[in-house]
Amino acid sequence: MLPDIALHRPASLAAAVAGLDWDHVGYAGGTELVPALRLGVRRPTALIDLKRLPELSGIEEAVDGDTETLSIGALTTHRQAAASPAVRRLAPMLADVVAHVGNVRVRTTGTLGGNLAFAEPRSDLATVCIALGAGVDVAGPRGHRHVSVDDLIVGPYESSLEPDELIVRLVVPTPHDPGARYWKLQTMERPTLGVAIVPGEEGVTVVVGAAAERPVRVVVPSGADAETALDAFCAGVELISDMTGSADYKRAVLRHHLAGELLGRRAA
Amino acid sequence: MNVVEMHCTVNGRPVRDTVLVRLTVAEFLRDRLGLRGTKVSCEMQVCGACTILVDGEPVSSCCMLAADLDGRRVETIEGLARGGELHPLQAAFWEHNAFQCGFCTPGFLMMSKALLDTEPDPGPELVREWLDGNICRCTGYRSIEQAVLSVATTRDGDGRPG
Repeated sequence: MLPDIALHRPASLAAAVAGLDWDHVGYAGGTELVPALRLGVRRPTALIDLKRLPELSGIEEAVDGDTETLSIGALTTHRQAAASPAVRRLAPMLADVVAHVGNVRVRTTGTLGGNLAFAEPRSDLATVCIALGAGVDVAGPRGHRHVSVDDLIVGPYESSLEPDELIVRLVVPTPHDPGARYWKLQTMERPTLGVAIVPGEEGVTVVVGAAAERPVRVVVPSGADAETALDAFCAGVELISDMTGSADYKRAVLRHHLAGELLGRRAA
Repeated sequence: MNVVEMHCTVNGRPVRDTVLVRLTVAEFLRDRLGLRGTKVSCEMQVCGACTILVDGEPVSSCCMLAADLDGRRVETIEGLARGGELHPLQAAFWEHNAFQCGFCTPGFLMMSKALLDTEPDPGPELVREWLDGNICRCTGYRSIEQAVLSVATTRDGDGRPG
């Protein structure tokens, strides 16, 4: 049994924010929170149910000149995002990635806001969001602020959200280079390695997730310097050994994958 | 103890109850309603043994609070057979020897039902993708996959067995 806990169902975003603190924690899909309660790694006294807040729902597009912004409510589940025509058209890499997180049940109940708020160190979503330059709209008692996902994710299960703040929406700038792509190595329930690649004007942005304390971002220049930069990055990036493989193994896989993707050949 | 009022339907029957906030759906089904067909194993959404359908969607009942069933429609393994007649998926699991100890079977059946309700004629790839989050430790997956595909085939065309 879970520990005894209270449940509050605020009727507005303002009421939800007013009720949040370290002991009163936001609650939506429960994918991360319920196991955390069971394990005792989080011991709040009350759940603040966010599921009925319209501000956290829906998927919208906003056009501003040449750029279109995709605004995805924090309550959007992985399955909803994967099936959304707007997400598929404007951010196909994101749609594909959220279609392959966890399993069908996790994708049915787990929300994008919860995925990011928990700063799960093996989150495919966080890795992709950082690669796409996405951010989150955060509400708190001091009003709203925009935080890049890169700044949101601090470390394993550690975000830069204050205990009285919550993610309202995920904001993804578009369009993306059609060459944007994500690959993951996964043999167990969570990925061993996730690699997002987004070509850009200054080079190719590479974000490596799942194998480090938090996703690691690097820009690899195109042309003659690419191999040197790639070698330096792969040699220096701090990776973690765990039950999915040693750091050396992950480094070898990463080097092999990136050489194939960016240098057009397989590493020796 | 913190409690909350809730009402829902379980396998078509209305249920009204006052439940502890900390009560999971799996505990509610098994301990309050006596529906023990739903199994609990990993308690972290990995194994799929506790899979049920809520408003037609597959969820892990071990990681959902009973309080969240308020106003919703629940389907469990006990609701699959009708009047003593096995659901086509149950019959197919029987025909294909798709279980041994049977512990994981309710979860596999409910996940398979969710798939076929969404996509009546899935190919092997989609079956594997949907059942990827269900673990069987004795039968192996081949016979389970074939059982689900046989039901999909049976439903093909004008409904005659394929």
